[in-house]
Amino acid sequence: MKLDRRRFLGSSVGVAAVAGATTEWVWPKYTVSFLRPHSSVAVLNAAEYSESIEGLLLDGLRLFRLQVLGRSILLKPNLVEDLPGPVNTNSTLIGAAARCFLRLGAVRVVIGEGPGHQRDTELVVQAAGLKPHLAERQIEFVDLNRDELRKVKLKANYSGLGELWLPRAVLESDFVVSMPKVKTHHWAGVTLSLKNMFGVVPGMKYGWPKNLLHWTGIHESILDICATVPIHFVIADGITAMEGNGPLQGSPRQLGKIVLADDPVAADATCARLMGFDPLRVRHLSEGGHFLGNLREDRIRMLAEEVGAPTRPFSVLPEFRYLLAVKG
Amino acid sequence: MQPNSLAGPLLTRQLRSGGWSYFGSQQSSVEATSLAVMALSTESPNAARSGFDQMLDLQRRDGAWPAFVGDSEASWTTALALCALNGTGEFTSAREKAFHWLVEERGREAHWLWRWKFKTTDRNVRFNPDKYGWPWISGSASWVIPTAFSVIAIKQFTVCNRSDASEERIRLGVEMLLDRACVDGGWNSGNSVVYGVPLRPHVEATAVALLALQDEQRTEMIQKSLSWLRQNAASVDSVSSLAWSILSLFVYQEPIGGLKNRLATVIGDGRNIRNNATLATAILALKCGEMIHPFEVLR
Repeated sequence: MKLDRRRFLGSSVGVAAVAGATTEWVWPKYTVSFLRPHSSVAVLNAAEYSESIEGLLLDGLRLFRLQVLGRSILLKPNLVEDLPGPVNTNSTLIGAAARCFLRLGAVRVVIGEGPGHQRDTELVVQAAGLKPHLAERQIEFVDLNRDELRKVKLKANYSGLGELWLPRAVLESDFVVSMPKVKTHHWAGVTLSLKNMFGVVPGMKYGWPKNLLHWTGIHESILDICATVPIHFVIADGITAMEGNGPLQGSPRQLGKIVLADDPVAADATCARLMGFDPLRVRHLSEGGHFLGNLREDRIRMLAEEVGAPTRPFSVLPEFRYLLAVKG
Repeated sequence: MQPNSLAGPLLTRQLRSGGWSYFGSQQSSVEATSLAVMALSTESPNAARSGFDQMLDLQRRDGAWPAFVGDSEASWTTALALCALNGTGEFTSAREKAFHWLVEERGREAHWLWRWKFKTTDRNVRFNPDKYGWPWISGSASWVIPTAFSVIAIKQFTVCNRSDASEERIRLGVEMLLDRACVDGGWNSGNSVVYGVPLRPHVEATAVALLALQDEQRTEMIQKSLSWLRQNAASVDSVSSLAWSILSLFVYQEPIGGLKNRLATVIGDGRNIRNNATLATAILALKCGEMIHPFEVLR
């Protein structure tokens, strides 16, 4: 048989496709799956950070019938810098969440964070206004940048890192709650509950910022971390969110929402829709939808109000205009 | 509270291995141990000696230190460990190995391919990749704090034995620090302008960068950074940032009496300062002027 150039190219593409599929089959990208038939999300309306948030949050959490009795809870807020503006998860919400979990029967609540830029964690905790909430019994703060570390084999292989050193407080927690600030992000597009987990990667090993994760790929690292440290619940702070050049220099955006979910992909997909973005266009979300949680709207059960499109989508840097959902 | 009595809590937290962890675990940290041995070197020489012994045990064959016990990879703590050993005048072999490792280590952007990328296609962060320093961990880019500690460590080690290689790395490191300075002075973690927006300086990064530049010509940028630090140190309440500010302002002969009084008030008897690296830094800051400054460069 004569092998002309066209046939050769066609055969090569075919061989490459089969090889790719075989590689995925022999060496799958992930070894865990948190997918289930349906996930639940509740979007709560909250115009401001006030004492009434605790009651609202407790009612919202009760919709999920969470099994937290006697369990140790890790709240992972997004505390990045001692900067003005909606950079960090609001401390009123964090404190309310801690007290709600104690009221629901948790034995202990640890608020854990390893700020990604600022090495002085005390400064960030002070600036975020978290200290008064730590005075309460059974609520403590752990600096995840300097906690005792254990080497862990990653349960997904997008970044090629293979393993990471992770804090004991995270690995020993019974129930991990990711509490992101709803923000745009100038490298990842958005920073929500999945991206928030960068904060469990310890600075004492990987530095400030955790630059190795950028070199190995932000989306890839997010997928690997979240496959390895499962997020059991999400409380996203979208009351005052951030748009534009997030996560540090963006502009405040009054969204007036708290998003609760028992699935981080469903939570982030919902937040993305609230921001006017198409979640399928966020790379770590579209890929995470294969194994970290439910992305599709028909698999997300809304326990409170439905998600409507925002009157105006969140502003983004020109590089991220592709995230904007096309109006149907 | 006097620094000597503050040593008590630090001494009680020393691990059997001789080192210190950050927060009371059994996992000794090279950063916490390096700072603790500096803080205890005069009044508790035996404790400091066991700390040094552990540091020597942890040193890798290539001269670098990992970040903590159990880790095997080289890290930025090599520079801090070398500063601690430099203060003793002993441990020549360990110091030489560390020095050689530091001279060879560089940020990932030092590779021509990445330099080309940052000059041509990836321009969202404003910096000159020809001016590179040291990373936190091999395989990532240069950042301010590891570069500053590396510059200090090499300057101290080569005070009497300069070589072309060491001078070249110091020059590049100093240039990198000046290149990454924030627009109005001071340093963020490593970038100054991202997507056209200037970043705000951090107190600790600014203090450590200024320590590395203490013997350099007082350029306008250094002067602006010093003013920024002087101004911001006056209002910062966190122990670590305040302590690093004192250590830095002291070498520039700035008045630090008021800051030392405030630090002493904030830390009390030291027992509430759970982070051993922070407590050790606070002791060093309170001892400024009473002992040889561990980050002083005499060239």
